[in-house]
Amino acid sequence: MSQETTYPDVMIDMIKVTKVYPPDVQAVSDISLTVNRGEIVFLTGMSGAGKTTLLRLISRIEKPTKGMVEVAGIDVAKLPQRSIHLLRRKIGMAYQDFKLLPDRTVADNIAFSMEVVYRPQSFIEKRTRDLLEQLDLIKKYATRTEELSRGEQQRVSIARAVANFPEIVLADEPTGNLDAETTNRVVNLFNQLNRQGTTILIATHDRSLYQQTSHRVVELRFGRIPAQQQAYPEDSNGDDAASSHSPSLEV
Amino acid sequence: MRFLAVVLQQTCRNMLFTWKSQIMTQFTVSLSVLIFSFFYLIYSNALHVGQELGDDLRLVVYLEEEPAPAMKEQYQMKILKFDQVDRIEFISSQQAFKRFEQQLGDNSDVLTGVPANFLPPSIEVYPVRSLDSLSRIKRFSDYLQTLPGVLKVQYGKEWIERFYSFIQLMRVVIILSGSLLIMTTTFMVAHTIRLTLLSRQQELELLRLLGATNNYIRMPFLMEGAFQGLLGSSCGILALLLLFNWINLQFAGPTTLTLLPFTFFPWQVTLSIISSATLLCAAGSFSTTRRILQL
Repeated sequence: MSQETTYPDVMIDMIKVTKVYPPDVQAVSDISLTVNRGEIVFLTGMSGAGKTTLLRLISRIEKPTKGMVEVAGIDVAKLPQRSIHLLRRKIGMAYQDFKLLPDRTVADNIAFSMEVVYRPQSFIEKRTRDLLEQLDLIKKYATRTEELSRGEQQRVSIARAVANFPEIVLADEPTGNLDAETTNRVVNLFNQLNRQGTTILIATHDRSLYQQTSHRVVELRFGRIPAQQQAYPEDSNGDDAASSHSPSLEV
Repeated sequence: MRFLAVVLQQTCRNMLFTWKSQIMTQFTVSLSVLIFSFFYLIYSNALHVGQELGDDLRLVVYLEEEPAPAMKEQYQMKILKFDQVDRIEFISSQQAFKRFEQQLGDNSDVLTGVPANFLPPSIEVYPVRSLDSLSRIKRFSDYLQTLPGVLKVQYGKEWIERFYSFIQLMRVVIILSGSLLIMTTTFMVAHTIRLTLLSRQQELELLRLLGATNNYIRMPFLMEGAFQGLLGSSCGILALLLLFNWINLQFAGPTTLTLLPFTFFPWQVTLSIISSATLLCAAGSFSTTRRILQL
């Protein structure tokens, strides 16, 4: 296990991670999972299986009770408060509850993630329009997000997560409120990012997303990864995984 | 540069979102600065007046008889050993008579037949020009009274004591209004910033999740505090200037006010008041931001 953490192409490495919420709720227990750079991994499982907790542990919204979480070579639990932004800038997360600012426009919400890393205004403007075109939301550019449907809000949340070209995208139920056509658009966006080397972790119930995929599917059961599940990439010998991406997602 | 532009943009956005409480805070800061600077203006002018009046101040030590040269030396030595004494002058009976005659002018004939030595000889003591010397003058005059051959010591005792009490009172008022200024600026600004922070918890949480640095989150609030201080104190000083001009206009003419030098603050003092208020507001904002955001 310690060998794997030294590979330069290992993007996420979790070793025997346990998270207990007070007073005694065990959300995940003894989970070990390795994700290579440029991989797409599906996290599946019933509600309460610990998918969201896993994503929250990776982005250091939560600290593990036990075990180690390493993201891009950074031990996230040891990261001091003042340096968390360095980790978060590598990660784009689409939240299940969207976390949008309801009184701001769609464009403002997407621009928000780019402003914090001081992107120039022209870049922000162009990238926002591009993403909205791709997700079929360009007509909602100046609409306040509180006026959008849940499906539209979900797409804004995804657009914000990927706007900064993060190294890792964590998507929590990204297609939960979408129809087939818009799901396809989201999948295309993820594929496009993945071709550029982005590692993508998708926590989902949506079987159509992973049923016929050749990507790794990791199922969580009651906060654990069952023994027969593939918690490590097939090729974890340090080859240049980023340049040999797995096939595209298909719906 | 980009950081500054983004922070400025955020600050303006914050201030626009909470414009009602912003106006209230601005008003309070302006009022506090106005009250403080009003009293400070009176105090500084009073000090100036004190200095002007102090120019004419002298203690007259009346002697029983004309001092011999050895005695004069003794007096000189005993009086000049005090730092507060600028110079002394011996006035003989004849010199005193001549002065009196000159003061009477056309009516000097009333002195016809009066012996030229009917006025006692005296020593005129000129203290150095400072308010401190005014406050110590009573003790000094008590000392002069103990010198051998001294009949009595005279000075403008009444006005000096009244003036000194007034200055003391003004000092107390300035300390009180200064405390008021500190309290209102820091507490009001801290309160406004607190309201802003609480109303925008969701946004601040999101900023953290998106990878904003602590400075990125904190700076707009610090700037907001500093802006409130800057604008509020500038308005307060402007109001004082208007009040000052109005008073000058109202009392223009042959009144007491025109006899006394009544001037506005020099620009250095104005700048100090504005920058102090700005710093205080920024400090109030800093402490609240630190406490609520735990950065």
